[in-house]
Amino acid sequence: MNEIKDLIAPFITQFLVKGQFAVLLYFLAVNGWYLVLLVSSLLELRRHMLLIADESRHLLLSSTLSPTISILAPAYNEEATIEVSLRALLALHYPNLEVIVISDGSKDRTVQVLIEKFDLVPVKTIYERKIETKPVRTLYRSSTYPGLVVVDKENGGKADALNVGLSFARGELVCAMDADTLIEQDGLQRMVRPFLYATDVVATGGTIRVVNGSQVKHGRVEKTAVPTNLLAGVQVVEYLRAFLFGRLGWNRLGGNIIISGAFGLFHREAVLDAGGYLHDTVGEDMELVVRLKRLSYENGGPGKIAFVPDPVAWTEVPESTKVLGRQRDRWHRGLADVLWRHRGMLLNPRYGVTGLFVYPYYAFVELLAPLIEAAGLLSLVLGLVFGVVDWTFAGLFYLTAYGLGTALTAFTLILEDLSFHRYNSFRDRALLFWWALIENLGYRQLTVYWRLRGLWKFLRGRKDWGAMERKGFRAVPAVAKPDAAA
Amino acid sequence: MVSQHLLHIIMLIEVLLLALAVSVYFVHGLWLRITSRRMQKLSHTARESLARLVLRGHVNLEDIELLKLLPHDVQTMAFLEISRTFSGTGKERLRFVAQQVGAIDRARLLCTHRWWTRRLRGARILSNLDVQDSLAQTLLSDPYPAVRAQAAEWAAAQASPEVVAAMLELLADPATQARFAVQNALLRMGNVIAAPLAAFLETHSGRAAQAGLRVAESIAEPRFLEAALRLSRADDVGVREAAAKLLGAIGGAEAAARLIELMNDNDARVRAGAASSLGRMRYWQAGSLLAERLRDQRWRVRREAGLALRALGAAGTLFLRKALKGDDRFAADMAEQVLDLPEAAAG
Repeated sequence: MNEIKDLIAPFITQFLVKGQFAVLLYFLAVNGWYLVLLVSSLLELRRHMLLIADESRHLLLSSTLSPTISILAPAYNEEATIEVSLRALLALHYPNLEVIVISDGSKDRTVQVLIEKFDLVPVKTIYERKIETKPVRTLYRSSTYPGLVVVDKENGGKADALNVGLSFARGELVCAMDADTLIEQDGLQRMVRPFLYATDVVATGGTIRVVNGSQVKHGRVEKTAVPTNLLAGVQVVEYLRAFLFGRLGWNRLGGNIIISGAFGLFHREAVLDAGGYLHDTVGEDMELVVRLKRLSYENGGPGKIAFVPDPVAWTEVPESTKVLGRQRDRWHRGLADVLWRHRGMLLNPRYGVTGLFVYPYYAFVELLAPLIEAAGLLSLVLGLVFGVVDWTFAGLFYLTAYGLGTALTAFTLILEDLSFHRYNSFRDRALLFWWALIENLGYRQLTVYWRLRGLWKFLRGRKDWGAMERKGFRAVPAVAKPDAAA
Repeated sequence: MVSQHLLHIIMLIEVLLLALAVSVYFVHGLWLRITSRRMQKLSHTARESLARLVLRGHVNLEDIELLKLLPHDVQTMAFLEISRTFSGTGKERLRFVAQQVGAIDRARLLCTHRWWTRRLRGARILSNLDVQDSLAQTLLSDPYPAVRAQAAEWAAAQASPEVVAAMLELLADPATQARFAVQNALLRMGNVIAAPLAAFLETHSGRAAQAGLRVAESIAEPRFLEAALRLSRADDVGVREAAAKLLGAIGGAEAAARLIELMNDNDARVRAGAASSLGRMRYWQAGSLLAERLRDQRWRVRREAGLALRALGAAGTLFLRKALKGDDRFAADMAEQVLDLPEAAAG
């Protein structure tokens, strides 16, 4: 054993000499860029807060002249939650609203519950098929809710369900969401603003927050709280970081290319002209946004993607490593797939800021980060095993690599505190900070593993969604979603 | 190998940053806690004083003095909050109190500030309190769309001929936000804008006309007829479509005759708009024409024609039933779907 060690040690030393410096440099460069994003989001947030301070949205936005919004809510086996979720959607504060629920071949009583609770009657199933989709079985309209449309179709996945919804939608704008997302009552009023502010906007995204730990009643979040569960708690911090400084920061630096599939508002004609959602990708929400952006550069039409921080939708995040792992693996496969499909944009000046800055960021930072991070961690472990580095150095290296990230996360918490401060109690603050601190001790390394697994599966051509188990928003039984959109 | 010394330096910087972030986070939290309690108390005092002043109807100097002592932010917040619940005499009293405590003068000053965010705030205060002020009117031509939009909101309660004229000119505003706010404010002004809007529509075309037609459709005054007839012949499809909708809202034989002509327009959007308008007018004489449009090549025209027939009542239903048995599959399918629709969804 000792001979092998002696034989390999020089190579490991060489690898560490070059590798460590590169890894540390990469970490600092990435975190340095995050710092730029943080400053950018701080400026953007300040501007946004000044713009919305004392704004009387009710007068201006509850107008008959507001653009009609069609909410597209794909549902798969949502029997337990669909009634509450749909009632909450129908009660949203927006003047011209249409809600289209698309049952994506549900095997449970989802459609029956809808028929019973919302006085649905079947009508002749014809529609303008603008995009190829799986067949529609039955179309229902409600005798009591004029704006409600329910489509029962054969299972085809979330993208297919959304495409069917697009064919039935009559609104100028469509809001794509998950059936179990809880949109705050004034969420649409807030989210529609960029469409009223500018003519070149094709899509807007709102903030997704973690509902785990909060109290939910009648499809509304009544009291927010930071969850005590480790996985859920760490994800609260992750979501805050992703939305509050990631996406907001990009608003000012050239635009976003991601809008969460759980809550996004799109110009219907633009989406239809682009061909709707793609079926053969697991990152259909990001793919659509990148395609809209790409087409706007190629055809010269509108293509602004705006992130608005104050409209909030709440979502339940996984509390088991198994489910969370599948989700992260899928997200990373989606990212890899989208970046590969549109690789022609990378560093291509034809695509302006998106091609030269945004796209490379996603390719070199978001996509490759787990590879670099894994290489760094591996070199550290090997260094320890072969005695090339001592424990003091390893500890110092580890702390240095993750230290700036933790500091940036802490600054994100400040951003949240300066703007929306949803988590007010001392308990919540302390918990949030605690999750921010310990996220680097194990959790982050797990996400590296999951993302690497995603990359590996992408290279092997896997395109399955995996199961997404949900506990339901307090006091509702667990619902499994075996083969549809999460 | 990366020297430990370098790592120490980097880590020291990181620790300092983290310590700074943590201190700011918790100190800000503490500050929020303390100030929110204080603000709650002060706001409560301000609201109580304002409510007493506005509801009692006589000037209570003590309350005015009390308000004057409060921080300006608290005063403004209380005025803005309470202004949303009052109109008429209540709002007049509120304005009087705001004048007495200096809130209106401060808002005026903000309106002339070089920062657009301050001008926006000034305009918001003046518009919430419905203050008649030429300064707010000048903001209708502010370089920032958000400020123009806010000034338009202010203008909704100030329907003087000059303000209406300025607002109508803003219908051609290149910024969607300002245009939308102007349309909305004009709608809230109500019938007083009918005559100037009719005159505006008779002389304008393009985007401005289209924006004006949408406002006119909601007011639906017969005096828009001439302009609607003229604009229904415009080159721009959006304008023709909006004119068709306005004709449906106005109604009458002349409008119906033109709508029947528009049913043969080259553009599907216009044909669909005309069909929808005929249904809205319950113009049963157009039944056979609408039934013919059930065979239109474009889905949206077939759909609007079907819904219009359903809106015609018994006469339209007869046409729909006839289409069910006709040789055109598309017309039959559309007729079947429209007949299936529950009453609530057919509107």
